[in-house]
Amino acid sequence: MKLIKRNIRLVVTIVSLMLIALIAYGAYSLSFFGNRWFSSKANTSLRQAKRDVVPGRIYDRNGVQLAGADAEGKRVYHQDAAMRKALVHLIGDPGSNVAYGVESFMASLLYAFGDNYLTRLSAALSGSPRHGYDLRLSVDSALTRLIAERFPAGKAGAAVVMNWKTGELLTLLSLPGFDPMAKDPGIEQDPQQPYWNRATRWNSAPGSTFKVVTLAAALQNIPGVMGRTFTCTGGYQVGDTVITDAGMAAHGQLDLKKALAVSCNITFAKLALEVGDENLRRTAQLFGLDDYLLFSDLVVENAAYPKGSRPMKELAWTGAGQSALSVTPLHMCLIAAGIANDGVMMEPKLLLQAADGAGNVRARISPSVYKTPLSKGDADTIADAMRAAAQTGTAARAAVSGLKVAGKTGSAQIDKQENTNAWFIGFLDEPSLPYAVCIVVQDAGGGGEIAAPIAGRVFDYLKANYGGK
Amino acid sequence: MKGNARSGDNRFLALPGMVFLFLGFTLLGLKDLSPLSFVMAVLVPACFFASSFILPRLIPADRLLLTLANFLCALGVLVLYRIRPDRGLDQALNYGAGLLGMVGCLLLVRFWHRLKWLLPFIALGALLLMALPVFFGTERNGAKAWINVFGVGFQPSEIVKVAALLVISSLLSRRRVLPALLFAGLCLGLLMLQKDLGTALLYYAVTLILVFSATGSLTFLALGALGAGGGAVLGYSMFAHVKRRVAIWIDPWQDYQGAGYQVVQSLVAMANGGLWGTGLGLGNARVIPEVETDFIFAAVFNEFGVIFGVGVVLIYLMIFLRGIGIALRAQSRFHTLLALGCSCFVALQAFVIIGGNIKLIPLTGVTLPFVSYGGTSLVSSLCIMGLLQGVAHVNERGLQEDQMIAMMGEDS
Repeated sequence: MKLIKRNIRLVVTIVSLMLIALIAYGAYSLSFFGNRWFSSKANTSLRQAKRDVVPGRIYDRNGVQLAGADAEGKRVYHQDAAMRKALVHLIGDPGSNVAYGVESFMASLLYAFGDNYLTRLSAALSGSPRHGYDLRLSVDSALTRLIAERFPAGKAGAAVVMNWKTGELLTLLSLPGFDPMAKDPGIEQDPQQPYWNRATRWNSAPGSTFKVVTLAAALQNIPGVMGRTFTCTGGYQVGDTVITDAGMAAHGQLDLKKALAVSCNITFAKLALEVGDENLRRTAQLFGLDDYLLFSDLVVENAAYPKGSRPMKELAWTGAGQSALSVTPLHMCLIAAGIANDGVMMEPKLLLQAADGAGNVRARISPSVYKTPLSKGDADTIADAMRAAAQTGTAARAAVSGLKVAGKTGSAQIDKQENTNAWFIGFLDEPSLPYAVCIVVQDAGGGGEIAAPIAGRVFDYLKANYGGK
Repeated sequence: MKGNARSGDNRFLALPGMVFLFLGFTLLGLKDLSPLSFVMAVLVPACFFASSFILPRLIPADRLLLTLANFLCALGVLVLYRIRPDRGLDQALNYGAGLLGMVGCLLLVRFWHRLKWLLPFIALGALLLMALPVFFGTERNGAKAWINVFGVGFQPSEIVKVAALLVISSLLSRRRVLPALLFAGLCLGLLMLQKDLGTALLYYAVTLILVFSATGSLTFLALGALGAGGGAVLGYSMFAHVKRRVAIWIDPWQDYQGAGYQVVQSLVAMANGGLWGTGLGLGNARVIPEVETDFIFAAVFNEFGVIFGVGVVLIYLMIFLRGIGIALRAQSRFHTLLALGCSCFVALQAFVIIGGNIKLIPLTGVTLPFVSYGGTSLVSSLCIMGLLQGVAHVNERGLQEDQMIAMMGEDS
């Protein structure tokens, strides 16, 4: 008998823990994934609410109304078609063809699911429909539209502009867009897939923009690396492959600051080999690669560092930003913002405020730190090298007179694609203009020629419109 | 007041429970304006009162345990009535039958010392009953676990559960491990033939726990766990439907309109509920297929919210711990093992189905004890409560005899 009772203790512990695990797992999954489940297409009660509730209005940060409702309570968008097309991936469309636009991901606010029993009851008794909450987003619609117009005609791509101090997104643009108020029958067959939000859901090789991460790994793992001199002869044999530079350039003797400014593949391939796959992976993970991204305001595809052990030549190419790396444009913007913000990456935010009809605030932005991958010293070193790139290096065409611009370009080679993808990441190293940018133009050519000038126009706009504040 | 601490004070639980049920049915009545709802608003709390306060006066029962189980049953009636009123009424009748079964099982344990000779017949009857669906079964949701008796669907494995707990505890209490394993193995084999994997899993786990507790053999526990792991791997590689279940578990969203629909809708229903729930009558859990049986927890969660869902899990935990308390106070190996088996069966069954609902583990179709729709399931859950109550009663009598002997000792 004594024996049985002693054995029971083990059983009780295990079974009790199992029941408690139900509570723990339920609370975890609901708090992190609840809004994704809620806003998914599978939610039939959302469809019901869209019939019964007048959707809340959506404003940009300057008070421009981007979406409202007509007299019958149906959703209508901005009166200008070009504006609608530029914002469609951010806002979403009535058919929810865009995954996780504000229309669906913030549906619980837009359709007032937070209303209590009394409000619902009085609406039901009075016979007038309930109204959703009005949202003010952090987006600057004029800037977003400006970038869309500056893009090379007919090219697909993405642009992200965010405040590196607070994480507020000013632009989340994906091209090509489509008009949510006009049904285009050919859109499903369009090879450019206009429904696809490239800013948040397009994972691809970031090209040389990734060199900022390789540089971070070198700073974290090789003491005194900034003082060393490297030699670039225009070709570097790794295994059965030769690493070369764009245009077969030979950069000669150079330090890392210069190597980043001129985007020397050979130097960064050497750095990656010296740092090693494990350490480079660890630094990449500090920047959020391989992480399950669970942001409160938007859904972003997870970025990935190549898995498993790989041949040396692939590691060498990873150091230069190629070879099975996959990162979204939004994520590269976060990385640039982290470097700008003394090594602290802020979580990207879209919602400034939600208010109900009576003016009660139902939700408000609360900036939060996503990750801290760098020390302030390392962040400053990388920022310094990026400023050199924007002054005299590959990113020079993003420079704006009177502003401290930091940048890094990339030209990512993609299989079965005629031209490279043109990348630019960078930021204004100005405390009064704390903005980071990522521009990607697909199948368009070099980052320095195609993407950097667009970033330059963004910085111009920011200087003109936010500089006085 | 004598023995009140042992039999449990249930007033703190029963009175709020009655108010909850009254308000719940009244609210449904205000929504659908059917007189039946208002009748239920009086009748259900009254029955809850009767079975929590009057029944324990007629039969010797552990009041706390009884009230907890009663509350879950009444919650089931309320939620089922909200989903489909006819199902709610059915369930109320099932509940009445279950209470009779409970009293029967209580008496069975109370007089077990005179009824022991029944054991071989119970064992044989259980196996025969379990074999019936293999030959005459009708298929529901891939499992062939049902038979029709006079047009009424009936699930033998639920009833056999009660018999199996008696048989296995009795054999193990007499240290007859091999016959106990043989019996459990036969039950398991028949369940596998019915493709009722969820129930088979429960039988396996409870048998393992009982054998371990009776023998104290950690080797056996390890072997058993290893066997379960091996069985899982084997089942995964052999059966296509097991593979499908696991794939749905890993990512139900892959095919959210097809194979993953049920689990996805369950998750959506919970997300709709949020912290406080949509409110009774305002949810949409009806879109989940099998919501009345396998997904009743998601329906409760949907309308009553996280807070209440956590509360329901805690009620199962309380029932489990109360049952373990009874096992620890029991005075014979048989009674200890029986109470342990009963407590574990209810707790593990709740774990398996709630875990499936919230995607913690792959979904297996078992009912949520006391709450899910289903006559056989509810009756068998209450019968298991009856067995536990029986052990509690035997403990109480033993205690009184001890006290009497002690008092007589003092007198002399």
